[in-house]
Amino acid sequence: MRRRAIAALLLVLSVAMLTLYFSTSGGGFIHGAQETGLRIVAPLQSGSARAVKPFRDAWNWVGDLFHAKSENANLRQEVAQLRTSAAEGLSVADQNTQLRELLHMSGETIYPQGVRLVTSRVIARSTVAWYSTVTIDVGSDQGVQVYDAVVNGQGLVGRVSAVTGNSAQVTLLTDQQSFVDAMVVPGRADGVLAGSVTGDLTLQYVDKSQAVKAGQYVVTSGLKSSIFVRGIPIGVVENVGNQDVELYQNIAVKPLVDFHRLDLVMVVIK
Amino acid sequence: MARTEAVAPAPRNVWLDLLRLGAALLAAALLQTTVAPNVHILGANPDFALIVVACIGLLRGCEAGAVFGFVAGGLVSLVLFEPLGVSSFVFVVVGYLAGRYAETADLAGVAAPVVTVFGASILGQSLFAITQFLLARQVPFWYVTTRVIVPAVIIDTLLAAPMYVFTRWWLHGEEVRRVHEAA
Repeated sequence: MRRRAIAALLLVLSVAMLTLYFSTSGGGFIHGAQETGLRIVAPLQSGSARAVKPFRDAWNWVGDLFHAKSENANLRQEVAQLRTSAAEGLSVADQNTQLRELLHMSGETIYPQGVRLVTSRVIARSTVAWYSTVTIDVGSDQGVQVYDAVVNGQGLVGRVSAVTGNSAQVTLLTDQQSFVDAMVVPGRADGVLAGSVTGDLTLQYVDKSQAVKAGQYVVTSGLKSSIFVRGIPIGVVENVGNQDVELYQNIAVKPLVDFHRLDLVMVVIK
Repeated sequence: MARTEAVAPAPRNVWLDLLRLGAALLAAALLQTTVAPNVHILGANPDFALIVVACIGLLRGCEAGAVFGFVAGGLVSLVLFEPLGVSSFVFVVVGYLAGRYAETADLAGVAAPVVTVFGASILGQSLFAITQFLLARQVPFWYVTTRVIVPAVIIDTLLAAPMYVFTRWWLHGEEVRRVHEAA
């Protein structure tokens, strides 16, 4: 009887914590306790993440051996395509420079002036299918704020969704609650890139009049209201769903970032 | 099936026992947050925390299993910025039922943790799916069943025996006395 009462009490406490968590989003006792706890645990996690890195690399190396053969053939094909694109790109870049000079436009880079990039390490990652999030080892002490974009050498990783003093949660692009203003280049067909529980990315709400082909690149569109600056690479169009009964095109996008192997990332602080 | 003989439990140093449980708790949380994400088998990750909670339930009974599950769930949620309460709820159920199973079932040796973790993993993953559905997140039935629950249950079950042996060694503990043996 006593044991059942204890279990029942703990279950009630769990439900109460969950209710409090959602009823006081962004503040309150529960979030405060979570922040305090994370401040204490984050250094331990950081050390632990560093300790397991050699083992993780070894594990990945074994996995890479199995994939190397098929990847080699794909890469050779991609190199051939990229050589063609590079040649086209050179002439486009030249044309672009001339047009900018004509329009007196300032030389815009992906990250505008005033933006600061803070390097950080991934110290934890959710393994539950419903949350595609990672924890990084920088927080408000380093100037990180909620909604800051997070990138790595491959492209856009996600956005900061919660911050404590020395750590932050990053919601990955693949999370089902991730939505990013994005566009297809060349062509500028724009829409909203949404994640899903399956980890697939879909560019939604793309007008049917916009021609989109597999193999085109998807980048952030950087609309005025968007939290992301324009031009951060996201992925490649995999296939285009264009059914008569639907109002918009649904475009499957293959991300450039390997979300299973995130290690070092950069937070874009505006 | 041969019945295990009831062994009179040796007196335990409570503080030392709590210290060992605390270390197991921390190890479970760190394994879950830093090691599990890098172990991909069949497209899923192992749930070390759930396995440790089930093992504690088996080794220390339903009361300790429930309490350990509550704290472990809270710690994992805390570390991963997940909504507090979801993992605690699931792990309390898993810890309690694992303890009850150990006290009443007639399984011995390696079969007990394997069967317990198999059941705990199915229960835990299903409860996670239900709570996510209640939190208005996408839970496509076919995908969740074939790509989340089944692979996770297979991995967890494969890890059950070695993790149980290690946990039992770490806790220096005999299994809980079964109800019908103690009577």
